[in-house]
Amino acid sequence: MKKKYGLYPGCVMPTEQYAYELSAQAVLSKLNIDLIDIPNQSCCGEPLKSVNKLMTLYLSARNLALAEHHNLDLFVPCPMCHLALSEAKKILKENPDLKEKITAQLQNEGLTYQGTTSIVHTIDLLHDHIGLETIKKHVTHPLKDLKVAVHYGCHLNRPKDIGRPVDSENPQKMEHILKTLGSNPVDYPQKLDCCGALLTINLPESALTKTGQKLDAVQNLGFDVFVDTCPWCHKMFDARQTKAGETVAKKLSVPVVYLTQLVGLAFGFKETDLGLHLNQSPVDALLSR
Amino acid sequence: MARIGVFVCQCGVNISATVNVEEVRDYAKTLDDVTVSKEYKYMCSDRGAQLIKDAIKKHKLTGVVIASCSPRMHEQTFRRVVEDSGLNPYTMEIANIREQCSWVHDDPKKATEKAKTLIKAAVAKARWLEPLQSSSIAVTPNALVIGGGIAGIQASLDLADSGYHVILVERTPSIGGRMAQLDKTYPTLDCSSCILTPKMMDVANHPNIELLTYAEVHEISGSIGNYTINITQHPRYVDMDKCTACGDCAAACRLKDRIASEFDMNMGKRSAIYVPFPQAIPLKYTIDVDHCLFLTRGKCGDVPACQSACVRKAIDFSQKSVTHERHVGAIIVTTGYDLTDPAALYEYGYLKSADVITSLELERLISSSGPTRGEIFKPSNGDKPKSITFILCVGSRDQTAHEYCCRIGCMSSLKHVFLLREKLGDEVEINLCYTDIRSFGKGYEEFYRKIRGINTNFFRGRPSEVRPINDQLSIDIFDTTTNKLFEITSDLVVLVPALEPSITSEGIARVLRISQSPDGFFLEAHPKLRPMDTFTSGIYIAGCAQGPKDITDTVSQASGAAARAMTILSKKELEIEPLIAQSNEDLCSGCGICVSICPYSAIELIEDKKGTHSHVNEALCKGCGACCSSCPVGAMQQKGNQDTQLLPMIKETV
Amino acid sequence: MSIIDLTSMAKPQEDIKREINQRLLKLKEELPDYCYQCAKCTAGCEAHKLLELEPHKIVALLKRGLIDEMTNSDVIWTCMSCFKCWERCPQKVAPVEILFALKNLSVASGKQIPGQYTSILQSVLTIGLIQDIQTITSKEGKTIDRTALSLPQLSKPLEPMKFQAVIAQLAMEKI
Repeated sequence: MKKKYGLYPGCVMPTEQYAYELSAQAVLSKLNIDLIDIPNQSCCGEPLKSVNKLMTLYLSARNLALAEHHNLDLFVPCPMCHLALSEAKKILKENPDLKEKITAQLQNEGLTYQGTTSIVHTIDLLHDHIGLETIKKHVTHPLKDLKVAVHYGCHLNRPKDIGRPVDSENPQKMEHILKTLGSNPVDYPQKLDCCGALLTINLPESALTKTGQKLDAVQNLGFDVFVDTCPWCHKMFDARQTKAGETVAKKLSVPVVYLTQLVGLAFGFKETDLGLHLNQSPVDALLSR
Repeated sequence: MARIGVFVCQCGVNISATVNVEEVRDYAKTLDDVTVSKEYKYMCSDRGAQLIKDAIKKHKLTGVVIASCSPRMHEQTFRRVVEDSGLNPYTMEIANIREQCSWVHDDPKKATEKAKTLIKAAVAKARWLEPLQSSSIAVTPNALVIGGGIAGIQASLDLADSGYHVILVERTPSIGGRMAQLDKTYPTLDCSSCILTPKMMDVANHPNIELLTYAEVHEISGSIGNYTINITQHPRYVDMDKCTACGDCAAACRLKDRIASEFDMNMGKRSAIYVPFPQAIPLKYTIDVDHCLFLTRGKCGDVPACQSACVRKAIDFSQKSVTHERHVGAIIVTTGYDLTDPAALYEYGYLKSADVITSLELERLISSSGPTRGEIFKPSNGDKPKSITFILCVGSRDQTAHEYCCRIGCMSSLKHVFLLREKLGDEVEINLCYTDIRSFGKGYEEFYRKIRGINTNFFRGRPSEVRPINDQLSIDIFDTTTNKLFEITSDLVVLVPALEPSITSEGIARVLRISQSPDGFFLEAHPKLRPMDTFTSGIYIAGCAQGPKDITDTVSQASGAAARAMTILSKKELEIEPLIAQSNEDLCSGCGICVSICPYSAIELIEDKKGTHSHVNEALCKGCGACCSSCPVGAMQQKGNQDTQLLPMIKETV
Repeated sequence: MSIIDLTSMAKPQEDIKREINQRLLKLKEELPDYCYQCAKCTAGCEAHKLLELEPHKIVALLKRGLIDEMTNSDVIWTCMSCFKCWERCPQKVAPVEILFALKNLSVASGKQIPGQYTSILQSVLTIGLIQDIQTITSKEGKTIDRTALSLPQLSKPLEPMKFQAVIAQLAMEKI
């Protein structure tokens, strides 16, 4: 029987990072996961946490309430949304005053909140819920001799106090998945460094510099491919790679893909099914292998 | 009819500032059976005591109520005063009008009323108090010391020199503990082995010390003055009488130089048959049961190599563990410390690079008898480091690891700076990242000044992480003294980890039934005034088992614990407080609830003419009262706090 | 009201001003005061080398009550919320959370909101998302959006008026 998850796409993935959506749908469907669309969703609020934390809390709460209404656990492919929803769930559990305040506002939209929805991200869905054994069974095109640099994205690792799907200092779940695909993930000193994406809102040049610095290090270490699981990070490393290179005076040429795209390749999907024609970074080098 | 005297203490202004003492005194006079009521500035003073004694005699009192501070402070004092006047000391009751009244209330009117009520209740109890007689038990003049580090060694020697027989139990094959691993000691830079080895020899040769190494205490029964201890001694598979420590066995061992040496903090290698270090006491070989080929696989060539090599035929694979029973009057626990595993702070790279080492690992590298004979090498490739960086407080003063200060990290690092400079000359860069330098001991600040005078980069701050990059270690440190970020590249990083209670502490606490504080160290009975006592009388603690401390403090505390133990051992007999449980055998139905509830195993069910009933062993009972409150028929009563004495108090109060 | 009148917040009324002052005080009391200035946060701050953010100094300034210095400064907007300061603080102080609170205060007291935050806020208020569907260009030069990829319809608030009313109210309300 197929296991169902409600899809919480967030803002960035469904409005421009189509490759993530396509590849996640393709791979999860193969792995017997049904993603259910939930109408009436909105932004999780995390990008506005600097403006108004209460608004962020409300926005996250209403999306949790919607999933609850449909009696679904949520698949949240964006680490930033995943953190916002997880934090909201924690706050509403621990702070009765805030819960009362938020619940009252939810009523204005005809929503109720209990706190029963579980939240999973791509990595823990693949690693913990589906499991490496099952993934292995679907691998038809092992990714041999592929030296992979992984990038988790800060919001997925930290803060531990809110409860994150991967270890804060030594995350390894993505590596386990990549090894199951037959590839060779290698730790590198800059693994946990930030892409700077949030700064695109007010300091875009600095954001690009962060991206450039990290990709430059990755390029110098001779990786074949750079893998991420966050639409914000991916936008920086993939679409903005050339510009990022300019900020550090380097010509960058690093193939950047979503984890789900690599899984899809190992499962034997066509490139277009995985949205690989939408990647802006030089993925051809990778595909020709 | 009872004739009760009430004595109200002003405690300077401690009580009188809030409680109207004169009013309380006059009120007490109006209570039934109260013959005399007096107040005085300090009842515990000589003049106060005299006042009580005179009143007892003059008014022929049968009971006394002292309204003063907590019984924890002066119960014993006033019992003696009462006894000196010819009254039974247990006919005295204290009404606590300080800690439970004047100190915790602001309103003088209400506080005065409360003081009156407390006194009224105490008088109600005093009417029913009965004279009690204390009994006594003989003391076994032997001591058990658990743990053979410098604390255990010092305590054993002090006790043995004072004429008491000591059983010293050490878990590992040799005594010496952490101090034996050190190269030099701060601030005097004495050679650690040179000052420790003679003491170890004294232990080995002392006629009053029985040394049991490679042994663990696994059971204890009895109580203060008379403990029975069961000790398990693990097999060394080497006959101690035959072994001359010639070392031929270790040289022949098929696993020679293949097993990480615990003594060298895994910086060096040993054989499966080994002595931990050349000055070990006893200097006898031990076969490592976890690694020896013969013991793990049942086969080591045709004949085990050590067996063929030993001309004295000392190797004996048929040895089994042996249990020893010993009887002692007091116990000292000196189980020491372990270093926090720095892998817990993953960001500092201990698991990422072999060139990130701990302070104790560095200590073994510096030691001229260590695995590198005192040469400093990068563990990863054997190169000489050109830059060394210390990171202090790793896991110390850290809410995610250990809240407390390790108390030795600053000074040991300063010592290391000195020793490294001495060995490596001025060419090598030494960086030290500290949070605060704490140099609190005698001569410590002077030593710190000395190190400041030599070429060292002191950075005030904690790095966020250590990154291995191309055979080197990259560290960003924000120095709050210059308000600048320094990007350091080093060859060797020394982490200075927090101290934790020895891994054995929990087991020892369970066996001895002593408490641990939340940090896991053994809990002292009072942090200021009884730092070596536990809440279990007859059991004492010293050294790092009680809390992190350096050698100076450890030795002082060990001698202190020995002196504390002698307050028991020096007596032929111990007086036992009569405030213990007693079973009314006629009422007791023999249900056994009290037996199961007693934390001291002091109650047993016996069968006689009266049928099955509970019986309290007076030597074991601590008077905790657990059995009394659990007895469904009220057969179990605590002397001095019987239902007939407590219920009137409640009646008067409520 | 479909969008918050952000300019009206630039001239806060006296009662709002009082409320903000109370919040400033409250903020200072509520946040953990256990920092011993080891600067582990700053040593590992992703924004430090590039933009001179010093989280340990933010905590120290807050302790001294020098809140205006920070709410008036651009430096609080340099945090990229990597959460390393929170994760690694030995005293469990979370400078990143203090920075969020300070930015919130700065916004609430009518100070200029930097960069694209205003337009993001407006977008969330109008369509519920930080941006609407973007047309992207594939490597072959084709312009592509959700429809071209046969992706399902975008999930958005179904009753925008009710949604906007709540968000607008929360935007005006205090933490």
